[in-house]
Amino acid sequence: MDAAVETQDLAKHYTMGRALVRALDGVTLRVDRGEFVGLLGTSGSGKSTLLNLVAGLDRPTAGSVAVFGRDLNGLSRTDLSLHRRKMVGMIFQSFNLIPTMTAAENVALAMMFAGVPRGARDKRARELLEQVGLGGRQRHRPKELSGGEQQRVSIARALANDPEILLADEPTGNLDSKTAHEILSLLQALNDGGKRTVVLVTHDASIASRCAQRTVTLLDGRIVAEKRS
Amino acid sequence: MMLSDTTQLALRNLREAVLRTALTALGVSIGIASLVGMVSFGVAIQDQVVGSFMRSGLFDSVTVTEPFRAGPRAGGRGRGGANAFRQQVGPSKQAPADTRLDEDALKKFAALERVVEVFPNIRVPVQVAYGDAHEFTAAIGVPMSARGRGVFQSFAAGRFFANESEDACLISQDFASRLTDRKPAQIVGTTLTLAYASQGNSADAAAAMFPGMPPMLPGGLNIQRNEKTFRIAGIVERQGGPDPVAAVFGAIMIPLAKARAMGSYDVLSPQALLRPASDKPSYSTVTVRVARAQDTEEVEKKIRDMGYTAFSIADVLKNDRRAFILLDLFLGLVGSIALTVASLGIVNTMVMSILERTREIGIMKAIGGSDEDVRRIFLIEAALIGVMGGVFGLILGWAVGRGINYGANYYLRTQGVPATNLFLIPWWLVAGGVTFALLVSLIAGSVPAMRASRLDPIQALRHD
Repeated sequence: MDAAVETQDLAKHYTMGRALVRALDGVTLRVDRGEFVGLLGTSGSGKSTLLNLVAGLDRPTAGSVAVFGRDLNGLSRTDLSLHRRKMVGMIFQSFNLIPTMTAAENVALAMMFAGVPRGARDKRARELLEQVGLGGRQRHRPKELSGGEQQRVSIARALANDPEILLADEPTGNLDSKTAHEILSLLQALNDGGKRTVVLVTHDASIASRCAQRTVTLLDGRIVAEKRS
Repeated sequence: MMLSDTTQLALRNLREAVLRTALTALGVSIGIASLVGMVSFGVAIQDQVVGSFMRSGLFDSVTVTEPFRAGPRAGGRGRGGANAFRQQVGPSKQAPADTRLDEDALKKFAALERVVEVFPNIRVPVQVAYGDAHEFTAAIGVPMSARGRGVFQSFAAGRFFANESEDACLISQDFASRLTDRKPAQIVGTTLTLAYASQGNSADAAAAMFPGMPPMLPGGLNIQRNEKTFRIAGIVERQGGPDPVAAVFGAIMIPLAKARAMGSYDVLSPQALLRPASDKPSYSTVTVRVARAQDTEEVEKKIRDMGYTAFSIADVLKNDRRAFILLDLFLGLVGSIALTVASLGIVNTMVMSILERTREIGIMKAIGGSDEDVRRIFLIEAALIGVMGGVFGLILGWAVGRGINYGANYYLRTQGVPATNLFLIPWWLVAGGVTFALLVSLIAGSVPAMRASRLDPIQALRHD
């Protein structure tokens, strides 16, 4: 099977004040195409850092990270933005929607960067919002939506450019358990039995074991456990 | 990302902060208004001065005179200005001896490269009789080639001479109003009589012309009075003529051939008066017309090398031009001060806007926006502020200029001075003003936009 993500001795160090923080300290990990992997760990374990490196939002201090065989270390800033645009879809704990834009505009924005013409992107934004169950809320601004609805908008946005991998960073962290359940079901549906790779970062072992095929546990920037469910 | 989308994003960002955008654009407007106001004032002044020369259509002609004779004072403590002028327009050092402005000289000038036409400037002192009115002036000989050029472009009534042999004349509107109260259209077609002097043998005739003067002038010159009737063919709007001197004094103009026939020598010129009658006729000044205004300098030089004195309006204006460029530059600099302050306003607005929207920038980058996309959004925002400010600034500058113009002219009229336009906004200033506003705002916006584009997305996403 192809590797969706492959990291080799991946490390990310930074200084905070005078202290050197080893956010990630030699992680070698492989995620197969179509796999649903949970990254489990406490706060500061390095799981979000790992996710950001895969997303191409950050660059490693040492080691390498390749997505679908492409080494991100060799990419320019522009190529990294293309990687984020085309290969990955990001879902955040705090949704990160643009407050002045409607749900549809937020989804369309991602396609705007990809140069999709207006008509096509408006149509696709509508379809995606329907797909995540927000058919009637296209013209609402984030403020007018509940947390769960906002996260659905953000998932629709992540899907806008039809990425290979969905990267979800604590997507249920700000949601009540019922809504969280719905969001996780949605992510599972998007994984669709191996059609799309999903990497889910969480601090909640039950969430990881419930929807991930494999759970990787991080502690102090290292992998300490791996479990198939 | 498509430019139309980028522009739309920039526009919506500006709309989100209407007040800030409006105030910043207003700052730019004031800057542009002051710049446009200053420059348009300079342009108007320049137009007043240079424009009157320009309209005379004399830029392509060189005026040639016989060389200045070095008098006793010339080499010594003469007036500095006169000496300088002499050096500038006078003949070259190794000037040939024969420098009379006769028909042979005219032929030599005509043979020069780039010369289109050579004609003598003949001014015949005349007494004009029109009805009961009598006026002393000089009738100016106009070559047929002057048709449609210079002052002969616009007639208040009538038209140019039909042919050279016509006993027709043109008069300036100003002169016409001195002769009669009739309207230009009514004057055309009527006749006037010119009395003029010519060399003759009758002492009685001379006595009739110049009562009280000795009938015989030194050198055996004899003067007689003649009269000739001319039909008024047309009335030109402005005073003028085919050469610079005529441009100032030209009140009545007749075909050149007629002027030659009336007396090819100039009674106002001592050289002509004192020359023996047996001599070939010569002229006090000659106009040499060249193909293009740029050619005047070269032709002037060649004529000076022949030993004559030559000058053109282009010479006079060359120095004026330099002064006006300096004036415009100075006014522009003063006007730019406000614009400089306004550009700082743009920087401030952009920095604020980026600070406020840091998180948004992080989001845009996380979902695939490139550095260039972010940079362009902010740059276009700055550019839009600049263009809005520029357009509004032009309107503002124009309105203020109109206001000052109105006030100043009101004052001028009370002082009996005719109204003039003190502010001129030519098209290049409109285009230049908006372009300049755009340029300044792009420069002002470039550093903030660059900073926005270089933001680290992870840091930006953590920003509240």
